[in-house]
Amino acid sequence: MDETILEARNLRKQFGGLVAVDDVSLRVRRGSVHSIIGPNGAGKTTFFNLLTGTYKPTRGQVFFKGQEITQVPLYRRAHLGMGRSFQITNIFPNLTVLENARLAVQAMSRINFQFFRRAESFTRFTDRALEVLTLVGLADMADYPANVLPHGGKRKLELAILLAPDPDVLLLDEPTAGMASEQVPELLATINVVRQQGQKTIVLVEHNMNVVMNISDVITVMNLGKLLAEGSPAEISANQTVQSVYLGELYNPSEN
Amino acid sequence: MQSTRSLPRWRRVFQSNRLYLAVLMFLVVFPHLVGWITGDSPFGVGGRPRGQSVFWQSVFIEVFILAILTMSYNLIFGFTGVISFGHALFFGLGGYILGLVLQMTDLGPEIGLVIGGVIGVAICGLLGFLMGLVSLRLRGVYFAIFTLAIAEMFFIYIGRWPLTNAEDGFALNNIPELLNSTRNRLTYYYLALVLVVLTFLFIRRLINSPTGKVLLAIRENENRAQAIGYNTLTFKLVAITLAGMMAAGAGMLHVILNKKVGPETLGLTYTVDPLLMTIIGGVGTHAGPLIGTAGLHLSERVFNREFIIGSTTINIGQNWSLILGIVFIVVVLVFPQGVVGTWARWRQRRRAARAPTEGGDV
Ligand SMILES: Nc1ncnc2c1ncn2[C@@H]1O[C@H](COP(=O)(O)OP(=O)(O)O)[C@@H](O)[C@H]1O
Ligand SMILES: [Mg+2]
Repeated sequence: MDETILEARNLRKQFGGLVAVDDVSLRVRRGSVHSIIGPNGAGKTTFFNLLTGTYKPTRGQVFFKGQEITQVPLYRRAHLGMGRSFQITNIFPNLTVLENARLAVQAMSRINFQFFRRAESFTRFTDRALEVLTLVGLADMADYPANVLPHGGKRKLELAILLAPDPDVLLLDEPTAGMASEQVPELLATINVVRQQGQKTIVLVEHNMNVVMNISDVITVMNLGKLLAEGSPAEISANQTVQSVYLGELYNPSEN
Repeated sequence: MQSTRSLPRWRRVFQSNRLYLAVLMFLVVFPHLVGWITGDSPFGVGGRPRGQSVFWQSVFIEVFILAILTMSYNLIFGFTGVISFGHALFFGLGGYILGLVLQMTDLGPEIGLVIGGVIGVAICGLLGFLMGLVSLRLRGVYFAIFTLAIAEMFFIYIGRWPLTNAEDGFALNNIPELLNSTRNRLTYYYLALVLVVLTFLFIRRLINSPTGKVLLAIRENENRAQAIGYNTLTFKLVAITLAGMMAAGAGMLHVILNKKVGPETLGLTYTVDPLLMTIIGGVGTHAGPLIGTAGLHLSERVFNREFIIGSTTINIGQNWSLILGIVFIVVVLVFPQGVVGTWARWRQRRRAARAPTEGGDV
């Protein structure tokens, strides 16, 4: 029950003189929703990049399903069951919406070196892609190039690409970034559906405090590259340090 | 579009390729058409390779060879998004290897052709693979500069190699009679045409396959392709290896046609021309390299000479590079997708205008 699926041990990342992530340790329980919050520049995205392998840490280790993966390359981590979405939309702009999702399914298969059959003829991959597009509400846009989608649609596609291969751990980096606020509940509902369907573990980076309070089991607060506090949503909202350093700033209505 | 789904398969294939088939039919009858119009036999005049038909066959054989080279370049540049400035290396080296096997061994023209062809294609594929292996981790311009350096190194070295007569190169006369372009130019024309069609079909198949889709994904966004689980280096190696092999084949056709092997085939021209032709025709499209190659090469043949209009002589030949440069700049600035890309974009926009408005919002 309390099994750790993903663990960071003393992770540190330095960009020249700047320490973006400073000695952060964290355990994510299997099946939980674990949110990481913190002001802009706190190091949340960098921390994600360390967990998923985009960056190699300056120091420290990453463990996934009991195995050390610090040196495992980015592309192989996807095959271990780790999926991530990006804060800045990161799609295949000139391919169709369907192809974007289909590629994510195909990546987990053994057909990648089939030269002489049409990709579409492997219908179970196309079917799975359409299934996730339906889930995020993009099925009717399947045949259009991804770059014709408006921003909100691209955020949904970002999520679809993440969901398509059915990873065990979903790392979501500000999935609602830049979305109109009335669209946010819809996206969160989708995330909730996914969570309830399978035994998914979700690591969620959010800037918006209100979003995480309802759906998180555990919240970790980062500031200036350091881990500031960790606890249940109730504990975090009661925490004095968090209040002074972070919440005050975030609840400031002049922001956003 | 919906209605075509119910047609039998061959009808669908026929319908979606009818433009290509029309062009192919035209190219098949073209030598005879020219012969019929001008009265010069497509087999030559007076037992010699002379006359309009034979002349135009040569022009088109050159177009076919360059088209294969350009299609192979488009595979890495247009479909995989890897910029290489060293493509001439494969073109030139393919010709050199075939030439060496034919001229310097006792295998005879037929066996020599087969063995030289296989060895040349294999070596160029391997070279592409190795170059990719050591340098494809570099991205963008760094990879391009690396390939340029390697290609120029071969160009300079082979241009001084005594065994192949340094910058003079060597004649290639130990070739099968059937491929002798002096006596059997029409045969050579059809051979080159068949190879263009095969290359085209091969690349189109590849791009529509699961492997090809990954290449497109790498072009579109390599980081994301890695994040969803693709070892992109492997796929880029596949592309550059195949492209190197095809370019080697084109280089072999080139030396057999000209019956001469020389270091100019390793020069920058055979890197820059495919690049220009791909960009003008349409990067990352199937028809683009064909249209770009035919357009550039044929217009050079037609316009690159003196024109006498009334009493003034206009020598476009002197200014051909200038004109080409201006055309290129205009294309890059105004139609960055090239001829085919611009057309496809226009069609896509018409389709997008009819797109449903839901699903996206904002
Ligand atoms: N690739 C990079 N090179 C240099 N500095 C970086 C890089 N990525 C992030 N940073 C810096 O690291 C700090 C943390 O950034 P980031 O992880 O994006 O924060 P967050 O996601 O919490 O807003 C910032 O000061 C940022 O400028
Ligand atoms: Mg961030």
